[in-house]
Amino acid sequence: MKIWPMNGISLVARRELRAYFDSPIAYIIAAVFLVLAGTSFMNSFFLAGVVDMRPFFDTLPFLLIVFAPALTMRSWSEEHAQGTVELLLTLPMKPSQVVAGKYSAALLYYALILAGSLPIVVMLAWLGDPDLGLIFCGYLGAFFLGALFLAFGQFLSSLTHNQIVAFALAALLASALVFSGHATVVEIIDGLAPAWQPGTLVANAVSCLPHYDAFVGGLIGADHLLYFVFMSAFFLWLTQVGLRRIQY
Amino acid sequence: MIRVDSVTRTYGAITAVDDISFGVDRGQIVGFVGPNGAGKSTMLKMLATFLRPTAGTVSVAGFDTVADPLDVRRRIGYLPGDTPLYRDMVVDDLVRFVAGAHGLAGAELEAARTRVIDMCGIGPVLSQRVRECSTGFRQRVGFSCALVHDPPVLLLDEPTHGFDPLQVMAFRDLLTGLKQDHAILFSTHIIADVEAISDRVLIIHQGRLLGDGTLAELGQRAGLGNAGLESIFAHLVSTTAEAGQ
Repeated sequence: MKIWPMNGISLVARRELRAYFDSPIAYIIAAVFLVLAGTSFMNSFFLAGVVDMRPFFDTLPFLLIVFAPALTMRSWSEEHAQGTVELLLTLPMKPSQVVAGKYSAALLYYALILAGSLPIVVMLAWLGDPDLGLIFCGYLGAFFLGALFLAFGQFLSSLTHNQIVAFALAALLASALVFSGHATVVEIIDGLAPAWQPGTLVANAVSCLPHYDAFVGGLIGADHLLYFVFMSAFFLWLTQVGLRRIQY
Repeated sequence: MIRVDSVTRTYGAITAVDDISFGVDRGQIVGFVGPNGAGKSTMLKMLATFLRPTAGTVSVAGFDTVADPLDVRRRIGYLPGDTPLYRDMVVDDLVRFVAGAHGLAGAELEAARTRVIDMCGIGPVLSQRVRECSTGFRQRVGFSCALVHDPPVLLLDEPTHGFDPLQVMAFRDLLTGLKQDHAILFSTHIIADVEAISDRVLIIHQGRLLGDGTLAELGQRAGLGNAGLESIFAHLVSTTAEAGQ
C-alpha cells in the first residue's frame, strides 16, 4: 500500500512532537526561553516606560543562538546514536518526507513557545495603544528566523552521533549569522579595510540580522522573505542529501 | 523473492561483501551463518535498502533495491541487528507508527496491530515504554514492527539475540508457521537456530559465500556426510584459509 507524501510527513511530525512533549528538557527550554525573553521586555517596559515589543524582538536573535540548537540537537544525532535511523530509513518513506516531518514538528514546537509570549501583546493592548501591525511583522520575522535556525540545526544534527557536538555546531553557525549583521561587529570589520567595507559586504550577503530587522521594523519585503525561505529550504535539502549519502 | 547477483560492498578499502550471489524463494527459511564481521549484516542492510551495493544487483519481489527502494520497503519486514527502537516510545505507539508508515489506517491498522500483538506476545508490555522492556521483549517488539504490515519477505538480523531458551523455541515455531507464505532470510551465529529451522544455509566468511545448500548437501560437498553445521562451517573456513595461503 502506498503512503501519500503528506501522510508520511504528518506521521513523522506527530511522532516527533510527542517526543518533544514527552521530554522534560523541552519544557525546561520553553520555560527558560520565555522567562528570559519576558525579562528583556519587562526591563524596558518598567524602567524606560516603553510600550512596544521592540526590546523583545531585539533580544530574540541572541536567545535563539542557544535555544534553537537546543531544540534540534537531538533531532538526527539521537537517531544515529541509537541506530533508529536504520529503522526510519527502511520504512517506505522518502528521506525528504522524514526530514520535512521532523522539521515541521520542531517548527510547530517553536511556534508554540513563541505563542507563549502573546500575553505580552495582550498586556500592551490593555495598557496602551501599541502598533499591532508592527507587532505582527515582528512575530513573522521571529517565526522565519526560528525556521532558519531550526533548518540548519537539523542539518548539523544529521552530521554527528553526538548531541553536544550538534548543539555546538548549530550555536556557532547561528552566532556567525547573527553577529555578522550586528552594527558594532560590522563597524569593526569595516574598519579593517575601509576601502572594501568587508563587514558591510558580509552582513548584506549572508547575515540574517538585516532581514530579520526589516520584519521587526514593519517591512515585509520579498527579498527578506526569500532569504529566509531559500536558506531554510537549502539546509533542509542538504539534510536529506546527507541522509541519502548514508547508503553509499 | 530475493535475488542477489554478484554483489560486492566496500567501506573505503575494506570489502565487507565480496561478489556474492544467492536467491531465496517463497516458502523457504534460509539461515545466514558466519562469525562476527563476516558480512551478514551488511548483506541484510543492502536487501533492506539501507545500504547500496558497490557492485552487482539486489532485488526483492522483482524490485531493484537501488532503483525502486520504496517498492522494496513495502514488501519487506526488517529486523535490524541490535533491534534499534525508539526507547522513549510506548510499545503500542511504536507498532502503530510503523503500521502507519506502511500505509495502514483505521480498521486495517487495528486488525494488523491485534494480529502482531497476539503473534509476538507483546500484550504484557503494550503500554510500557520500549526502554522499560526486557531485552527479550524488545526483540519481540522489533519483530512485531517487522511483521505488522504482513510483508512477503522477512529479513531478520540476529533475531534470537537476548531470547531465553523458551523464547527461542517460541520464535522457531513462529518462523516455521510463517514459512509457507514468506521468504525468510535470517542471520545468526547460533548454529542450533539454523539447524532447527532452516531449509537452506548460506555460509559467509570474510565477505565471501563459502557454501549454499541444505545441511545434507553442504555435508556431502565437504565430504563430511551428516556432520553438523558446526563441523561443516569449520571445515569450509579452514579450507578457504589454506587455499588463500
